[in-house]
Amino acid sequence: MPRAASHTAGWLVLAALLIALPHALSFSQQEVLVFLTINVLLVASYRLLTLTGEWSLGHVVIMGVGAYASALYSKQLGIYVPVSMILGALTAVLVAMVLSYPLFRMKGFYFLIGSFAAGEIIRLLWKRFRDPFGGPKGIKKIDPMPDFDIGIYSFDFFEPVSYYYFALAVVALSLWVMWRIERSPVGLTFHAVHWQDKLAQSAGVDVRAYRTRAFLIASGFAGLSGALLAHYIGTINPNSFDVELMVFVLTWAIVGGTATFYGPILGCVVLSILNEVVLRELGFEQMRPFIYGLLLICSVLFMPKGLESVVQYFMRRRPGNAVAKAQRTGGPAQYEAERGTET
Amino acid sequence: MVELLAQTCLNALYAASYMSLVAVGLVLIFGVMGVINFAHGELFMLGAYVVVSLYADLQISFLFAVAVGLVFVGLVGLGMERALFRPLRTNPLGGLVASIGFLMILQALAVMGFGVRMEHVPPVTQQVIAFSDKVHLAMPRLFVIVAAVVLLTALWAFLTKTRFGWALRASAQDPEAAALQGISINQTSRIAMFIGAGLAGVAGALTAPLVSVNPHMGHSVIVTAFIVIIVGGVGSLEGAVVAAVAYSLVHTFVTTFYDGVIADIVGLSLMLLVLIVKPTGLFGTADRA
Amino acid sequence: MSGHFLQIDKLVMRFGGLTAVDDLSFVVEEGAIHGLIGPNGAGKTTTFNMISGFYRPTGGTVRLRGEPISGLPMHEVARRGVVRTFQHSTLFAELTVLENALVGTHMNFRPGIVSAILGLDAENRRGARDRAEEALEFFGLLEFAGELAGELPHGHQRALGMAVAMAAQPDVILLDEPFTGMNPEETRQMMELMFKLRDSGVTILLVEHDMHAIMGLCDRITVMSFGRFLAEGGPQEIRTHPDVIEAYLGGGRHVA
Repeated sequence: MPRAASHTAGWLVLAALLIALPHALSFSQQEVLVFLTINVLLVASYRLLTLTGEWSLGHVVIMGVGAYASALYSKQLGIYVPVSMILGALTAVLVAMVLSYPLFRMKGFYFLIGSFAAGEIIRLLWKRFRDPFGGPKGIKKIDPMPDFDIGIYSFDFFEPVSYYYFALAVVALSLWVMWRIERSPVGLTFHAVHWQDKLAQSAGVDVRAYRTRAFLIASGFAGLSGALLAHYIGTINPNSFDVELMVFVLTWAIVGGTATFYGPILGCVVLSILNEVVLRELGFEQMRPFIYGLLLICSVLFMPKGLESVVQYFMRRRPGNAVAKAQRTGGPAQYEAERGTET
Repeated sequence: MVELLAQTCLNALYAASYMSLVAVGLVLIFGVMGVINFAHGELFMLGAYVVVSLYADLQISFLFAVAVGLVFVGLVGLGMERALFRPLRTNPLGGLVASIGFLMILQALAVMGFGVRMEHVPPVTQQVIAFSDKVHLAMPRLFVIVAAVVLLTALWAFLTKTRFGWALRASAQDPEAAALQGISINQTSRIAMFIGAGLAGVAGALTAPLVSVNPHMGHSVIVTAFIVIIVGGVGSLEGAVVAAVAYSLVHTFVTTFYDGVIADIVGLSLMLLVLIVKPTGLFGTADRA
Repeated sequence: MSGHFLQIDKLVMRFGGLTAVDDLSFVVEEGAIHGLIGPNGAGKTTTFNMISGFYRPTGGTVRLRGEPISGLPMHEVARRGVVRTFQHSTLFAELTVLENALVGTHMNFRPGIVSAILGLDAENRRGARDRAEEALEFFGLLEFAGELAGELPHGHQRALGMAVAMAAQPDVILLDEPFTGMNPEETRQMMELMFKLRDSGVTILLVEHDMHAIMGLCDRITVMSFGRFLAEGGPQEIRTHPDVIEAYLGGGRHVA
């Protein structure tokens, strides 16, 4: 099958590029690359949430829960760092589960405000209780990842490059899982719940359970991204996960567009590169919130379908309508292709 | 003990005064235009900075600076209506997002214009009214309370006794019917936005000498405003005032006996409780959300 | 046997001061096509909403095979075998026709996340797809499988709504004004589909204004007026029933 082969070739090329990339960058740029990788996971997890139509304003706080949890497990309980990261992600899921009881009784605008309030409460708890959260100063000297050797490569986590490869592997795996979920009947049900929840309900879908499920999965991955962050920077505090970061995530998602899987990722990558290349080089780093605010406004006013609509426009002009269809809906063309391979 | 209670009540009254101005402004905008103005806290901040520039830096009369604050921020509100909310009238979520973008812009402008440090505005007078040994009220605070009462009364008169006021209330109740009556949506939106923003701005201007003015002061204001309007009921102006008083009482008391952070947590939890049990709030009317 | 198949027992629905449905009782026999008619405002849709779980009745019970289902949330009612369609072409417009039908298969081919991720659910998916295609084929929609549901012509959209309901393999289908906006040819085709549906073992309860369709389809008809039970019987009885004629003529409508 020529199409499948060219797809695989494409992925291999991308993988090779991603692996080679850090060597073309300066040290500080490599650091930025690590943050970018972590942010990609964060925004992709946010997208999963918006799949069911819920726009939460507390998402980055859940990332923080994963960060704080992993930091505390490794620091206070001496748990091996990779394990503490997983536990951190699970803690985020647990917190999300508790939050889902009050939050999912609210719809639309109320859910937005409610999720914002819940996030603020958690941040205030971090600020208020120096024991165990470290108060306003947060947690310092978080244990780094332990170095290890896999034969072809020796991970020395003093180097950003090593952490980048590690984070890249984790994020790639996570993205693959999220992609699989979206393409599965579960993902289809998420879409259904988003667009016509009454109709879905009448077909037997427990809408609230599905919304909660999306929320929990998204929170788990957000928590994982938080854990990755914590063990990279080494210190976290309540301001690491404040409204400003939430606005960045919102901006990436809205500028990129949330109709496709890659939309928010595209938004994140483009804006992060913009931030580095344009803002930092030209010394406009201070203006970052200003630029993001402006981008957000312009995006909502002039390009409400996001950057992904630009990509889709170009893709649709390529020959092979089936490709465009699959990109657009992902559903039946995919099923038809699968059916073809089965018979 | 009585004196402690009395003092706490006075503190709460002061806080309730400027919070009701902010909350009423937010409800007005939401009620008439159907959009949630996330930048409302920054409008408050803008009013404070007007006083910083005119009164603290240029030594212009405080009263005049406050008046300028009201008008200037009201005009900024008009700009927001024209540039952001009107094109996005059919897309309230988009309007909300745009207001978040505008919030970022205002904050960045404040940082660029004034720097991140906190400004201290010298109060107009150091006089204090002493009710007793332990119970006193600073004159500037009394001024805020009086100003709030005056402004809210004026607003009430405007809404109930003038043609424009009726138009606003009609739009809030039923925009389509109002449009059929010949009431222009654009005009009512403009009026609502000017007044709503102006109220936030004047609140910031009035309290500028009493709080630390910095580019991030809007954050706690908007959070409190949300709590107040949710508890009071999103469509209700009276609810906003009542809830502002109730919230300020609770918050001030908890701060006095515990601390400010715990008070914030209590306030937010209260809001969550209301959202769970009765989302339309204490005085909630049919909601536009 | 546990008594009647679908029993509506003294149903009451009050909204604040307004009583929309008052003390309504009737029985739907298994395998029947049962009509629910009445002038505008009679409370038919409200009754539907109570049976399907959209509303919780203020009083009375709905029983399926003797078991009460009133007051259950919609998805629970669906799981017990009662599925409904919606009056306005309510579809997942952004999804394709096949995907719409697949949503209907949700209950019986419940996906498990982990197996979905690991790709171990292929058999489950195939079963769901077969069922969805069956439902589409039944309504003559299989050729449109890859089209976006929102782009279908009106008549096909209504058929798709029923296909989604049917894909859920219900025992009872509640059809909410399925003939609205149809020309005589489309009505005829739809009637044939409904007979086919009934023959495949599904009990049908439908709300409808189109008298021709009602008289032609139904084994039994219940008539409501002002929220109350007015009359019940076969098409002939109802057509000539004096109370029914008056209720309709009072509203300026003809009975048949």
